Amino acid sequence: MIAIFFDGIVQGLQLSLLAVGITLIYGLGGVLNLSHGQFAVVGGVAAALLLEAGLNPFVAALGGIAGAGILGIIVDRTLLLPAYRYRGEERLLLGLILTLGLSFLIDGYLNYKFPEFSLTFQLPVPMVEIGGIAMRTASLAASLIAIVIFAGLFAFLRLTLLGKTIRSIIENEVGAELCGIDPSRTRTVIVCLATMMAGVAGVTQGLFSSLGTEMGPEFTILGLLVAVVGGVRSINGTLAAGILLGVVNAFASRYVGAYVAYIILLSVAMATILVRPAGLLARFT
Amino acid sequence: MKKYADLVVVAVVLALVPVLAGGSPYYMRLATLALVYMAWTVAFNLIFGHTKQLFLCLGALAGSAAYMTVVFTKQLELSPWITVPIGVATAAGLGALFSYVSVLRGLGIIFLGIVTLAFSLIFHNLVLGLRQFTNGETGLVSRGLGFPLLEQPMSSYYIFLGVLLVALIVYYLLMASRMGMAVRALSDDELTAELSGINVTWYKVLAAAVASAILGLAGSLYAFYNGIVSPSVFSFVSVDIPVLIALLLGGMRTRLGPIIGAAAFAVIEELVRPFGQLNVLVYGVLLIVLFVAFREGLVPMLRKTLKLSLP
Amino acid sequence: MVIRVEGLHAGYGMTSVLRDVSIEAQAGEAIAVIGPNGAGKTTLMKAMVGMLRPTRGRVDFDGHSLNGLRAFQVARLGLVYVPAERELFPTMSVLENLELGAYRDVSASEEHMRYVLGLFPRLDERKHQLAGTLSGGEQQMLAIGRALMAGPKVLLLDEPSTGLAPKAVAELYRQLSKLKSAGLTIVVTEQQVPLALSLTDRAYVLEQGSIRLSGRSSDLLGDPSIKKAYLGVA
Repeated sequence: MIAIFFDGIVQGLQLSLLAVGITLIYGLGGVLNLSHGQFAVVGGVAAALLLEAGLNPFVAALGGIAGAGILGIIVDRTLLLPAYRYRGEERLLLGLILTLGLSFLIDGYLNYKFPEFSLTFQLPVPMVEIGGIAMRTASLAASLIAIVIFAGLFAFLRLTLLGKTIRSIIENEVGAELCGIDPSRTRTVIVCLATMMAGVAGVTQGLFSSLGTEMGPEFTILGLLVAVVGGVRSINGTLAAGILLGVVNAFASRYVGAYVAYIILLSVAMATILVRPAGLLARFT
Repeated sequence: MKKYADLVVVAVVLALVPVLAGGSPYYMRLATLALVYMAWTVAFNLIFGHTKQLFLCLGALAGSAAYMTVVFTKQLELSPWITVPIGVATAAGLGALFSYVSVLRGLGIIFLGIVTLAFSLIFHNLVLGLRQFTNGETGLVSRGLGFPLLEQPMSSYYIFLGVLLVALIVYYLLMASRMGMAVRALSDDELTAELSGINVTWYKVLAAAVASAILGLAGSLYAFYNGIVSPSVFSFVSVDIPVLIALLLGGMRTRLGPIIGAAAFAVIEELVRPFGQLNVLVYGVLLIVLFVAFREGLVPMLRKTLKLSLP
Repeated sequence: MVIRVEGLHAGYGMTSVLRDVSIEAQAGEAIAVIGPNGAGKTTLMKAMVGMLRPTRGRVDFDGHSLNGLRAFQVARLGLVYVPAERELFPTMSVLENLELGAYRDVSASEEHMRYVLGLFPRLDERKHQLAGTLSGGEQQMLAIGRALMAGPKVLLLDEPSTGLAPKAVAELYRQLSKLKSAGLTIVVTEQQVPLALSLTDRAYVLEQGSIRLSGRSSDLLGDPSIKKAYLGVA
């Protein structure tokens, strides 16, 4: 029981890590990134390539994460520019279609170029025992990474001027501009941060089992579900929703099977949108 | 009747295609598939183009109809004359439900998109999970269950041409009716439309139901024609994405856009077929390029360059 | 002239709102733009600060041409705008709102903070409260306070009295006159004409998108046509 619960929390933290980027980009830029999971895969692939080139695993992992962030900057400054020219629903629609196209582009390219790809990080000690519960070192390491990143993100947003700037734009773009804040530069920073966090999720997937190039769509969908359930605009909400859905998924997969578990997750997301759309849509309609 | 001249032209041109194919089964199959996608794109034009409802569950709607039809025919040994309407009604009901709920809850275009995308995935997982009815990933063999005419290339082609023409006629009649006026007002400005006394909810739901019925009809018949129904036939990538691209390519809110767009897409797909896996990449590039640089589509472009009065 | 608007035309889409508007202000001067609702006062402000692209004419500020600059660039030059909607950050604290105001010049943030909290003791009392929970008058103080945090060279105020109780309006104008005596250049639009005229040195009367009249505020206060149109006196 407790083991399943912990497993759920571990999964949930990974989900939150994916979803928080979707939340940030949506909150700041009004673009629902349908290629977010693909950024995770890009991070993983970059890390694997660096590993193959003979770098030590830690450096390779950092390099992979940076790779995802760099792609994020490029995408923000090129592909998303047409979307940023519009506001409101028009921007949402354009952003949705453009990132959907990008997801196909990345998937198609990676599956073509690296059909046999997988990224795996081996840890020296596979299992540890804490308080009488045997746990996989990989789960602990991945959770620790996620917790540190979330703590860092919260501190960054609460305490630094750049963090406050980001919150101000999420809250009121016009107001931020009147203070002299450049929305497009701040947006690029946040897209970079968000895609780097996706990169972390991709790389840590290599700790659990292995990361394949075909996993992008699944990552995107899971991240999207968590972001939607969390309220799409709230980072606390995203973290809570990730852990909640992680635990639900862990129990459901154990007792009713993977398909039903997935259907439950999807139904929860649908119900959330239907029950409190005003909360989710707060800004745009 | 002059108003419907383009319909006659479409019917005649498409009716002549088998002559050009010269009886080649390969090209006949391609042409028949193109007809199915044309019908689906006509439906999507009604939902997304005219009433701004982003349905990301076209494959799931067509697929629910197809599975209902085939499973009922197989399990209960009912005649396809009964099971096809059951499939169509299922799709129409689901489409109407999504539309009604979205209007009722005031979902924006994006959240309707997510809800319907979630439905796509639920459908996919249901099909995989309900193995005893659907035979999971492998799919159900539907050959020999349906209409004998759908087992032969030539008659199949004309049956799907008939389906397409029915879809087009329904579309024309709807657009020429009070609903057409309402829908045009709606695509300009929903609030103004509402204020001028047009019942937006009713027309949106009607458009979604009619379009979903078309999706379902083409889907059910396609299931028999194809000889097998499997999740991959009705997946997001094999239905929703091509239809979205075809509509953008041809031109939203035009009569001939879906026809020309789906035909052009069939040609493009045939051209990238030799590159195997890369077709997904091409879809991605097409989506981006079409949406950024070519948002009007072929029909409005032809209108301008050739000074034609294309509908 | 620290700010000069010359032959400005502006509008939204096909509708033109402003026609050939010219106004100017010297450093340390307070000027008012008065006029009825819909005369184009807000449009003029928005066109000055880059929130709306003028169709013709030019805006010069402190030796820079503002034509083509975006709103955040204008703010960084020191022309700081307080819109009637205030555009605060409702779920951030009063202090955080003020800190963001200092984005233009972070090094002077502490000094400006002391000044603003001294000027508006009410904000000091509520500095940890969320901006969205403040009263209308306090929100207006916060909006002005946030603008002052930038150490502006010119402060543009659009209808600062909108939606405020008479007492709050009086308090607000007392503080504005303090700012004026401290030497700040202020451009204010107002429908409460007597208040605006008593605060400012000069005023422009904007009607149907054009300047109809301009002059010393004290003279305009006595002008019979102004009295009739805006002061409700025959």
